[in-house]
Amino acid sequence: MNLLKKIWNDKFAKAAFIILAALYLIILFADFIAPYSSSYSNRELAYAPPSNIYTIDENGHLSLPYTYNYVRQYDENLMQTVFKQDRTKKYYIRLLPKAEKYKFLGIIPTHRHLFGTEKGGQLYLLGTDINGRDVFSRLLFGGRISMTVGFLALLIVFPIGLLYGGLSGYIGGFIDTLMMRFAEAVMAIPSFYLLIILAAILPAGMTSVQRFALIVVILALIGWAGFARVVRGMVLSIKEEEFVQAAKVLGASKWRIILKHILPQTTSYVIIAMTLSVPSYILAESGLSFLGLGIQQPDASWGNMLKEAQEFTNILYRPWLLTPGGLIFIAVLSFNILGDAIRDFLDPKSEIRR
Amino acid sequence: MNLTKYITKRILQVIPLLIIVSIISFFIIRLAPIDPLAELRLNPSISEETLQKEIKRLKLDKPIYIQYASWAKSFIKGDLGYTASGEKVSVKLKERIPNTLLLTSVVILLTWLSGIPIGILAAINKGNVFDRTLTVLSSIGMAIPSFFFAILMLMFAVKTGWFPVGGLTSYYYNELSFWGKFIDITKHLVLPVTVLYAISLSGLQRQMRANMLEVLDSDYVKFARAKGLSEFKVIFKHALRNAINPMITLLGFEFAGLLSGAALTEYVFQYPGLGRLILEAVMKSDINLVMASLMMGTVMLITGNLLADILLMLTDPRTRKSQEDV
Amino acid sequence: MKKILGIIIIFFVFALCIKGCIKADIPENDTKINLSETKKEFTYPNKNKNVTINGVHYIQSQAPVGKFGGELVISTIGEGPKTFNPCNSKDATSSEMAGLMYDGLVSTHPATGEVMPQLAEAFHIEGNDYYIYLRKGLKWTDGKPITADDVIYTYEEIVFKGLGNPSAMYAMMINGELPKLTKIDNYTVKFTTSKPFAPFLRQLSYPIVPKHYFKPYSDKGASAFDAFLNPNTKPSTIVSNGAFILKEYVAAQRVVFERNPNYYKINLNNEKLPYINKLVFLIIGDTNNQILKFEAKEIDVIDLKGDNVARYKQQEQNSDYAIYNLGASTGTLFVVINLNNRTNKEGKPYINPVKQKWFQNKNFRSAVDYAIDRKNMVQNIAFGVAEPLFTAESLNSIYLNKNIKGHPQNIKLAKELLQKEGFEQKYGRLYDKNGNLVEFDLYTNAGNLEREAIGVMIKQDLEELGIKVNFKPIEFNSLVNKLTKTYDWDMAIMGLTGSPLEPHDGINVWASRGPLHMFNMRDSKDNTDDRLEWEKELDTIFEQGALKLTYSERKPVYDRYQEIIYEENPIIYLYSPTRISAIRKKIKNIFPTRLSGILYNLDEIYIDSGCPVKENTRSGK
Repeated sequence: MNLLKKIWNDKFAKAAFIILAALYLIILFADFIAPYSSSYSNRELAYAPPSNIYTIDENGHLSLPYTYNYVRQYDENLMQTVFKQDRTKKYYIRLLPKAEKYKFLGIIPTHRHLFGTEKGGQLYLLGTDINGRDVFSRLLFGGRISMTVGFLALLIVFPIGLLYGGLSGYIGGFIDTLMMRFAEAVMAIPSFYLLIILAAILPAGMTSVQRFALIVVILALIGWAGFARVVRGMVLSIKEEEFVQAAKVLGASKWRIILKHILPQTTSYVIIAMTLSVPSYILAESGLSFLGLGIQQPDASWGNMLKEAQEFTNILYRPWLLTPGGLIFIAVLSFNILGDAIRDFLDPKSEIRR
Repeated sequence: MNLTKYITKRILQVIPLLIIVSIISFFIIRLAPIDPLAELRLNPSISEETLQKEIKRLKLDKPIYIQYASWAKSFIKGDLGYTASGEKVSVKLKERIPNTLLLTSVVILLTWLSGIPIGILAAINKGNVFDRTLTVLSSIGMAIPSFFFAILMLMFAVKTGWFPVGGLTSYYYNELSFWGKFIDITKHLVLPVTVLYAISLSGLQRQMRANMLEVLDSDYVKFARAKGLSEFKVIFKHALRNAINPMITLLGFEFAGLLSGAALTEYVFQYPGLGRLILEAVMKSDINLVMASLMMGTVMLITGNLLADILLMLTDPRTRKSQEDV
Repeated sequence: MKKILGIIIIFFVFALCIKGCIKADIPENDTKINLSETKKEFTYPNKNKNVTINGVHYIQSQAPVGKFGGELVISTIGEGPKTFNPCNSKDATSSEMAGLMYDGLVSTHPATGEVMPQLAEAFHIEGNDYYIYLRKGLKWTDGKPITADDVIYTYEEIVFKGLGNPSAMYAMMINGELPKLTKIDNYTVKFTTSKPFAPFLRQLSYPIVPKHYFKPYSDKGASAFDAFLNPNTKPSTIVSNGAFILKEYVAAQRVVFERNPNYYKINLNNEKLPYINKLVFLIIGDTNNQILKFEAKEIDVIDLKGDNVARYKQQEQNSDYAIYNLGASTGTLFVVINLNNRTNKEGKPYINPVKQKWFQNKNFRSAVDYAIDRKNMVQNIAFGVAEPLFTAESLNSIYLNKNIKGHPQNIKLAKELLQKEGFEQKYGRLYDKNGNLVEFDLYTNAGNLEREAIGVMIKQDLEELGIKVNFKPIEFNSLVNKLTKTYDWDMAIMGLTGSPLEPHDGINVWASRGPLHMFNMRDSKDNTDDRLEWEKELDTIFEQGALKLTYSERKPVYDRYQEIIYEENPIIYLYSPTRISAIRKKIKNIFPTRLSGILYNLDEIYIDSGCPVKENTRSGK
């Protein structure tokens, strides 16, 4: 494909593309790559720091990588919890060890994970959280939610926006005015306010899947109107073009003209808008979860994991809890760079407003 | 179409818009399974009778359309009602709106002062490393979740002690001289402004770059170049003016974006603005307060757009025709 | 050129990777910092004395004499005060602020909890008659004298009429009857109750307000009175009698108080208190921001939680603050189980009858109790700064039943209890004797890191018994709505703050018709015929407890109620945070007590920074 080739020739876009592809691959195989499941928890080791992995042993000889387990001690006097390495036993890092059971790609049941330690060892690459859950594993599972929420929202936004804008622009007249007034009203409510109001009315007591779905819907609800407006504007100009007029004369039905002739003309805009709006959904999800209105515990999303960054001591003493912030940053930045590049390739003059 | 007629038309259009907005938001909020009296209910020292009194006062015992009607009636009269805790909504808004306006106008001013030149620079250097680096750099601010950025900024304030930790004024503000007051407010504004600035810079910069590219590609710029004018003159005398015009429309949008983008930042910085007010009101389902601040937000947004459009009509006669279509 | 650059970059990245992979295993040095132990005992202040000078009956504080001047900056979490009308405050912040501005007839001894005279110089009780002798020569801030008329006005026209917050009226009612109030002379009043009523004397701490200033508003009716003294009132117009006068209120930012130069409390040198010139409350949205403000030295006092304690403890020696351990706080965290077996208006049960059977079963509830791992909860979630809790009274309550010792987590016993009731574990899942899978929802309020973490732990604990728990953090207000209105919930993690002095305050929770009787809520249409045996006993206990007057008479009654809760487990208590506060060393006359905390004596606190620092720091900032 031409577009892919162009991306490949652009250094920034290439880097962004590779990063995003890698991220999506990793979250696709999250069960396999993560040494632990998202619900695994070792409550004797809440807030344990990342495991140290050694390749030179205590005698100064090169060794296969190994690690020690942590032991928690509580100092009554200082009211302080300290983590000590238990130096009595070394645990070597293994490839494809047997660990918790899961279904590979949701189908094949297996025990093998990509890496892990020998039996009885702990391997927390990015430490643990307040419930003693492995942050690294949860980052991968959380990515599944954070990285897909935007795309799923777009799956709702685009059909609605295309149809709504397409119809409104094509029919014109009073109905057009009415439809546009409604869309403008939705746009006129400051979007973040609307977002939190909607999130606050989510019925309590949903399963995590339902909640995830509804959050997707809510994110979509605030995005469609702006999109529909732009589509309408495009349709207005496209419908005056000769090939549409020709189709009309040939007696094609309204739906056929909209779906077959007009909407395909908006493809390049759609592609650009897609890459450029995914990041805003990722950020919106994190903002919602930060306020406690988004994805809820015990499910992981980058946003609700980052909630722990609110705590002052976490930033000072447990920087590994801030890694979700870094991943959000990388993902959003990559999407933006890629989107910019695609826009330049497809349509250097376009003005896209959100 | 002349200007006054256009303005009247636009203002008349605003009215149905406000009605739709108010209906949408009122019903959404009221359908929420949120109890505005929850905090009172959980307070062991509050008796059942106090609760009944509050329910009557807030009309929670009436059907929703009656609640809406009574809200709308008083809104038209200019009465915004009382908050769930019994304060006048209008007083609360009066306290908060100037603060939010202060924050947003400083941010807008700064983004314009820097976003336009960066956009021009990027456009002139289109496609080369300089352009790409500028674009990436300006996107960095946008890619960090605003609340996270704000938290990091607060940490910075604590560690260095250079800036106060949140708020808008110090407790001894009233005893300061005029310049003392000015410096006090400036110190408090630096961090929230930095966060919002970083978020909104890239949008403006990209738009300016795109506009500039379009203009540079146009016939009259080519013509000007052909005439042998210096590149500096071409860009600053001919291209710039035309590229900035469409940016004015963006002003209204930017204002709106900041209004909602500021909510989380205000929340983290404990800034006494509209965003934090509405956030707290939504959490408590304080209907009068949410409605009033939503309406204010909407009015501010619409006014911003309207002003931008009028400004555009004044500066750029070409747009008059197209404005009529929209 | 570019290629070379690329190679260099790749080399660097590679080198970094190698560097990251190679890590030498060098044992860490065990260095332990030795720190002074947290002081747990304090010298409690002696009782105040009454001193008469020039016809004014002062209270004389027995605290050491300090320096006048200076400012104390503290904080209040939330949105700030909603009213300065002491008769209308419904939330903690408003009450606290109004409490600074208006004094009541009596107050509470900060260490022993006994009732002490305040505006009253003395009181005595004869049967059901309470005689109150007012201090003479006291003045409102506008110079008018404080007399018995103000007291009569406050009670008869505000409290007994239910103006403002009517809760005070209901707290004074005994079987629906209000006490009688008689004016004996200009400085003496008498309250007469229909029956002996233990909590009554403490109710007299209700703030006394100036008749000449309040009456025009109380005459206009409830809504005018509610709006009276709202936060936007011009501070200089407010007439009050407390130690502090309102100076400035800036919405969402701060409340500033000034000392009342005519306050009726004096120090040992007979100089008028309070010492500090200015008292500033910064209005702060959440505890995270509060800790940052303390760290940045913008506030002087803070309550520490979780691992902040360890951080501040480590730095205490080289710092400008001292840390006080005040023991267990009044806060409690618990799991409440829904025992409701009634039906709603449409005749549908509030909760599924299958689930009802489990929740009604005492052994099932006990099993849940035994499955909970309080030790790790305290350790992981509260960072050890808490104590496991098994009683309905909070750990610092003077009525705490010390015979209830609690128990560690015991999964084996929990399983046995379930087996006894016919529950069976198959393939890791628990089924009841009718073959229903045991599965229910556990709610808590979203956004509260502590409670969410507790939820995750309890879910895991119960899963060890094979119970499937759907943990659902929901928005706070919706949760309260479920608990108190719609009753459609199974289990919930909640917290309440109790009173360490007056167990009768718990009647809202424990009486079968109480508005917070969460585990078995009855609405107005429900009658109490279906009370469980122990619910009946609780009702009797709370009726009787209030009628007995002495501590020794009341103690066994309230001991019994804690036993019932411990045995029946409608509410399973989890832990109670330890109260630890840090306060700048420059603030003197601090006598922390377990009952009242640190800042109960704001009128005696003074600031001694060694030199007039405050002015310097400001210009230096």
